[in-house]
Amino acid sequence: MGLTFLSIQGLSVSYGGKADVLRDVSLDVQRGEVIGLIGPSGSGKSTILRTLVGLLKPRSGTVTLDGQVVDYTSRASLRGARDRFAIVFQQYNLFQNMTALRNVAIAPTLVKKRAKADVEAEARALLARVGLAEKVNAYPDELSGGQQQRVAIARALALKPDILLLDEVTAALDPELVGEVLDTIRALQRDGMTMLIVSHEMAFIREVASRVAFLDQGLIVETGPPAEVFDQPRSPRLKEFTSRILRH
Amino acid sequence: MGYDLIYSQVTGHVPYLLGGALLTLQLATISFLVGWAIGLFNASILHFGPHPARLAVQGYVTFFINTPLLVQIFFIFFVLPDAGILLSPYTAVAIGMSLNAGAYLTEIQRAGFQSLRREEMDAATAMGFSVPQMVWYVVMPHIAKTLYPPLSNQFIIQVMTTSIAAIFAVEELTGRAYNVNSLTFRSMEVFSIVAVIYVVLTLACSLALAVLGRWLFRVKARIV
Repeated sequence: MGLTFLSIQGLSVSYGGKADVLRDVSLDVQRGEVIGLIGPSGSGKSTILRTLVGLLKPRSGTVTLDGQVVDYTSRASLRGARDRFAIVFQQYNLFQNMTALRNVAIAPTLVKKRAKADVEAEARALLARVGLAEKVNAYPDELSGGQQQRVAIARALALKPDILLLDEVTAALDPELVGEVLDTIRALQRDGMTMLIVSHEMAFIREVASRVAFLDQGLIVETGPPAEVFDQPRSPRLKEFTSRILRH
Repeated sequence: MGYDLIYSQVTGHVPYLLGGALLTLQLATISFLVGWAIGLFNASILHFGPHPARLAVQGYVTFFINTPLLVQIFFIFFVLPDAGILLSPYTAVAIGMSLNAGAYLTEIQRAGFQSLRREEMDAATAMGFSVPQMVWYVVMPHIAKTLYPPLSNQFIIQVMTTSIAAIFAVEELTGRAYNVNSLTFRSMEVFSIVAVIYVVLTLACSLALAVLGRWLFRVKARIV
């Protein structure tokens, strides 16, 4: 057992006048692990991901990645965090004025100052990997939701993140398009990508996650292997949550 | 008391007038482009900047929108020389018109920042874009597309406004019309021709902008 890859210690976040959207959250993640974050709406699942990638400022707590503390205090130091985490959003958040290829290639060229030719070759390979080799020159409004989300995944991978953060990436999709995106994520899991996945697709979480964390009202209430969390919930809140989702 | 239209006394001056129309177009283009850049910069500050910088931008916009352009150019042309800054009439008018357009284009483009989808900015931020990178690669294309019609209108307004340069003896279309008029005293003929040139010029600009817009953004801009 190696060192803990990602360690979140005592993370608290508040914003928009709401006190403590996250309260003293701690989580350890090993390299190659897939963590499923589940819980009711507003429980703080997405907040964890948005904080890790630097979109929200933590009020207190530390994040350590690969032995190095990630500094969220200043704008300049945020670069470090954004180098190592990449996020995929529920609404894809693609740049509407750019083709699929440019969406994937822009950050490495612009932010990491890498050579355009190299980056574009990689971007083509990434788009092929998510099954969109034919769509490199398509604009987002010419793609289906599932295709857009796969472009967004390719765009996040182009940053070569240590950890991929997936924020309800199938929640905005038509049911028949969910499968193609989940297949893409399964492939990433097989390749050993470390991921934190926020999702309401419980069957999928059970399948790909090595561990599951249940959040409620900004607290991690329970963590464990999927079988344990889903089948033998200990806390009353989780029991209530799983009984409700299993009825669906 | 009749007035006989004698266009033959003026037609020889038409090439000279058309030369003035070129200068009109040049002045409109320069002041629009500089004003657009000022506006984009200002709108970025209003959206991302610290409080004192936002106040400065608001002061600039309030001042230039609430004073007449003519007074602004008078100030630049007649007052700045006292401070040792001597400008040619053309330069003074170009600067005045740019600063004035900058104020209006700040207001127009601010709306573009407000209408930008929050999600695209989140994505850019999460990927480590700096603010200038975000403005140039994400916000500006969005503004150019969604605000194409009001931006085009502002350009047409700039074309009309250049006539103010005649007061400073700049030989754009109106300035040259004034010269031809004092030479021939055929006011009706001169200014009717000039009016037609302005109409053709602005219609041609509108058409060119609409075609450009369709080609660039698939925008269905109304022609004319």
